[in-house]
Amino acid sequence: MQVFFQTLIGGLSLGAVYALVAMGFSLVYRTMGLVNFAHGDVVMIGAYVASTFYMSAKLPFALAIVAAIVVTGLIGVIIERVLRPLENKDFDLMLIGTIGFGIVLEAVATLIWGATGRAVPSPVPAAPLDIFGIRVRTYNLVVLAIAALAMVALVLFLQRTKRGAAMQAVAMDYEAATAVGIHVGRSNALSFSIGAGLAALGGGLVGPLLYVNASMGGSLGIKGFAAAILGGFGSIPGAILGGLAIGVLDSFSAGHFQGYSDLVTFLVFTVIIMVRPTGVFGERTVNRA
Amino acid sequence: MHTPRHIRGALIGAAVLTTILATACSAPGKSSTSSSGSGKGPIKIAVVDAQSGQLSSLGHWESNGAKLAVDQWNAKGGINGRKIQLDVFDDQGDPTVGTNLARKIASDGYIAMIGTSESAVTQAMAPILQQEQIPNITSGQADSMVKLGSPFLFLNGPTSTTYDETLAKYVVDTKGIKSIAMITNNGGYGKGEHDAFLASLSKRGVTPLTDQVVTTDQKDFSAALTTIRQKNPQLVFIGSEEVEAGLIVKQARDLGITVPFAGSAPQGTPVFAETAGAANVENTIVSSPYLGNDISDASRTFAAAYKAAYGDDAELHGAKAYDGTSIVLTALKTSNVATGKKLADAIRATKYNGLLGSFAFDSTGVGIFATSIGVISNGKLAAAS
Amino acid sequence: MRYRIGLVALLAVVAWGLPYGLNLYAMHVADVALVFAVLAIGLGLAMGVAGQVNLAQVAFFGVGSYAVAILTTHYGYGFWPAALLSLVATVVIGLLVGTPALRVQSHYLGIVTLGLAVAFTNWVTNAALAGGASGISGIPVPPLGGVDLSSDYLYWYVEVVVFAAALAFGLFVVRTPLGRRMRAMRDDSLAAGAVGAEVPMLRMAAFGLASVYGGLAGVLYAGLIRYVSPDTFSMTNMFLLLAMVIIGGRQSLVGCVVGALALSLLREALSDASTYAQLGYGVVVVLAVVFAPTGLAGLPARLRSGWRKRRGEGASAAVLGPFRPFPAAPQASAPVGPGPLLEVQQISKRFRGLWALREVSLSVGAGEIRGIVGPNGSGKTTLFNVISGLYRPSGGTVRLGGAPVGGRRPYQLSHAGLARTFQNLRLFNNLTVRENVLVAADRSRTRGIWRYAVWQVGVVRRDRALRARADAMLDQFGLSAFADALPRSLPYGIQRRVEIARAMVSGPRLLLLDEPAAGLNGEEVRQLGEIVRSIRDSGVTVVIIEHNMGLVMSLCERITVLASGEVIAEGGPAEVAATPRVIEAYLGDSAMSKDVPPVIATEVAQ
Repeated sequence: MQVFFQTLIGGLSLGAVYALVAMGFSLVYRTMGLVNFAHGDVVMIGAYVASTFYMSAKLPFALAIVAAIVVTGLIGVIIERVLRPLENKDFDLMLIGTIGFGIVLEAVATLIWGATGRAVPSPVPAAPLDIFGIRVRTYNLVVLAIAALAMVALVLFLQRTKRGAAMQAVAMDYEAATAVGIHVGRSNALSFSIGAGLAALGGGLVGPLLYVNASMGGSLGIKGFAAAILGGFGSIPGAILGGLAIGVLDSFSAGHFQGYSDLVTFLVFTVIIMVRPTGVFGERTVNRA
Repeated sequence: MHTPRHIRGALIGAAVLTTILATACSAPGKSSTSSSGSGKGPIKIAVVDAQSGQLSSLGHWESNGAKLAVDQWNAKGGINGRKIQLDVFDDQGDPTVGTNLARKIASDGYIAMIGTSESAVTQAMAPILQQEQIPNITSGQADSMVKLGSPFLFLNGPTSTTYDETLAKYVVDTKGIKSIAMITNNGGYGKGEHDAFLASLSKRGVTPLTDQVVTTDQKDFSAALTTIRQKNPQLVFIGSEEVEAGLIVKQARDLGITVPFAGSAPQGTPVFAETAGAANVENTIVSSPYLGNDISDASRTFAAAYKAAYGDDAELHGAKAYDGTSIVLTALKTSNVATGKKLADAIRATKYNGLLGSFAFDSTGVGIFATSIGVISNGKLAAAS
Repeated sequence: MRYRIGLVALLAVVAWGLPYGLNLYAMHVADVALVFAVLAIGLGLAMGVAGQVNLAQVAFFGVGSYAVAILTTHYGYGFWPAALLSLVATVVIGLLVGTPALRVQSHYLGIVTLGLAVAFTNWVTNAALAGGASGISGIPVPPLGGVDLSSDYLYWYVEVVVFAAALAFGLFVVRTPLGRRMRAMRDDSLAAGAVGAEVPMLRMAAFGLASVYGGLAGVLYAGLIRYVSPDTFSMTNMFLLLAMVIIGGRQSLVGCVVGALALSLLREALSDASTYAQLGYGVVVVLAVVFAPTGLAGLPARLRSGWRKRRGEGASAAVLGPFRPFPAAPQASAPVGPGPLLEVQQISKRFRGLWALREVSLSVGAGEIRGIVGPNGSGKTTLFNVISGLYRPSGGTVRLGGAPVGGRRPYQLSHAGLARTFQNLRLFNNLTVRENVLVAADRSRTRGIWRYAVWQVGVVRRDRALRARADAMLDQFGLSAFADALPRSLPYGIQRRVEIARAMVSGPRLLLLDEPAAGLNGEEVRQLGEIVRSIRDSGVTVVIIEHNMGLVMSLCERITVLASGEVIAEGGPAEVAATPRVIEAYLGDSAMSKDVPPVIATEVAQ
């Protein structure tokens, strides 16, 4: 029983990170109909930038993350600008274009920060809580709380603000949105930079949990993407749910199947997707038929 | 338009054909015999390791160690008046690239190779290097390489068996610890550690309380560590590279596991300590042939030279490559710059007293069969009393 | 043609002579590059030709070489029997990996296949059978008479033979019915289904083909390197492979080969600066998708068209020929039993709580031209989509020639004699006009593709017959001059006509036309009327959705009026026009129009 709950806690902690990554995927998809395969690598850049400001420039952790959000937001704008000619045209090509960007970002990170990577000290020094023998790291609670806050803020932004509504209008009908005076390019750039900012938030927060290096984007990206799809691609609450689900699935398959955990995780994921392609909350997006 | 072009193409084709027929009537590739080594000019030695990708930090340390040795020999006038030329090639951690490089160094007349710590790349290159008769001394430690049985393949350090036999001897025989939990990864290194440590334990009649296997890029170890915690071991053995070992220790301490950890060389490194957190690694038991730069006079001299050359602190991988390169150079000197099989025999015959200890190669290509035990106390790795 | 033969001969001579000019290192690099070229052809077939985002190609590669390694070292098989078995194993795995493609497409398929590729490397890293992380060494040298294939020089010839056969077969597939259907499916899977292409089978065939090439490359790799380990089949190499295919030009197999060779050689040349090389190919991939989506293979065509433009050669001077009427069918030739040809009973369709169709019934007699009219959003196109199998109705039945066809897939309906056009033109944009028609002319079932493996002559013969039919149809519609043009380059009216020709070449019993006059000028509308009448006279029943009331009134014997998803009137033109509810519906158009909500329809249809 203890093993079960401890595994669950471990899975949820990592799941919170996947959830943040998945939210970025989902936001960009929902507002632009674009799958950004470079997202995992943007997370990695976010982690590097945040840790650089935190460790080298000695900024407070929160400020370091804000700085990282600014940097990755800019990267997001650049990616969007370069791929803009393909928007609303060729979906698969855009997909491959973002894979290309992922390769570029990884190479750039290796050139700037080297291949060795770095360990980031935890900004929350408190000892783990002990609840009936189940240990919960305080920092993980912080991450979970931030993920929940980010979700609420994002949902409110999309539903309650004019700009958020405009962003979704663009996704639903690109031409109609243009016709009613929405600047499509600006709207897309904004959603892309918010998505990239979320990546930096996830990356910054994951630093102290794991170890920052240039290749960390790969597995975070794949798992985060899987999480977004599992929850229902484009759905923000779905991203949170999917993230936590993938985290927990990962932890339990590691517990039960040891070295074979990736095999089991992805087989289960494949089966779920085949049974219910639109995920738990259903796909929220454009009609591209 | 089409016909003239067609004719022109055919003419060119015919011309190429006749040239080829005129120049070469035998099967291709038979005529080229490598004329490496003999004669004048510099003695060419290749370093092949990962200069890019995830393992590139190891690669940099290794090439630095090798370069330092060569520079010192060149400063003393080289071998038989000939300079030694050391060139570094990047295998990118990819076995296929490794085979390309094996062919390349054979074609370009390198007579010996200093190899990578990545055993998959070494194993991919081994058949070609054997075919081309190029002796190579690598930084890997997996027992599977020894099983290849190539007379041209040497290791510049002990195998996993040696690391873990020493460790088991200290832990079980000296300290009397019998309740031990294991956590290893399924990568090449972790698998080797797993098998070797398990064998050493069972030789002593000890069965691990639990034997957890994780993947190389796993991030959360809650399940494995909670199982370990429930078994209440006196010691946890980790078979994993620096970063993952550090993450395991960090999460284990958070989960309330307070007993010491034990493992091989990776746990003696700064990367491990930084990832885990300095306080968490206290009392970690490390089996390593090179416990640190302050262990002996030789290591102090080496560390000083290394620092002077690269501005960095020396560590195990650099020391291993330094030793390995020195062995090759010594063998070249004693054999009067022999190549191929003769050079391999010369290496096998070389007795060398290096940073890692005394090398004397056996028929399998392993030259050193001892490691030392160190314990981390007050944040420093020191030899166990 | 002769020029091509000359080129091939030249390449053959170069391939034969190459080993004489290379040192051992260069030879080995060339050997490895050729293995990747075979692998890239497979990825090109799946991604570029069939449009399946397959990120598991590197795993197929791995299955092929691991199977050889395991069979030879563990079970003592000879190299060649092991190679044969490993091909079988790879195809089995390929089909398994492909099954998700039946349910999901595009990025969903991408992540699933990528995940399965990760699962594969995870398995070989763990399994004792596969040697774990340290892999399997000691794979025997492939025996071949007295030839010593441990020599990279001689091994090159084996590779060249396999590669040439593989490329030739790939090109053969692309240019014959199977490949044409795959390309059609890539361009528009809905329309491909509607003209009779079995989309699910084709997707599986695409994965099957990709895995054959993956297996071949794997066998060649195992024989060349004689060692396998999980590191070779990493994601890094998958993305490298992807870059090869994209840079070379995914829609052209030759392009894939060029990309694979170029990137392999470049990677080797830049091996001392591999991080920069990685940066470089990443940038080139991005630039390629934005500026040259057809890759290197598309460059000659782009340059040519750019050159033409600069010389002021505008669009081709081809002109639309006159439509030649079909021979009128002798009376009652249509193979219809008693009763109406199309019978729709109580059909309902609901989208997320909104009724797009509510208990719609209508029956169309054989040889009739039936008009369906109604305000925007009244459910006309939804009705067509239900009849043609794109939507599954929420209730009710559809009978075609007396047989119930509810729940059948579009391709099955096409084979049952139903053809349709689409409101927003769904031509296959990267296929020529002739190929568009050829896809629909092909009435065979996909299971006939076994011929590709054993009886290629039969494929060629059948293709020739199809071409004759397609050309006859193009000629009938006066489209011969545009046979080799891409649809997008043609005026709208001609595209409409191509779509009708494409529908007619399948020899339907029932033809559904969805707003065929939209966007046509007066003369074109008149020609359209003539075409539709001739089609009917040839024995085909026609149902037509149209807003052009003049056309509907003059063409149709009977008209059904839909409003808000319900039939509000049916009868002769005059009769319907006088019905009060119809007048009300049309006058109240703007008030009553409720657009059908957006639906995730792409895949529902499959």
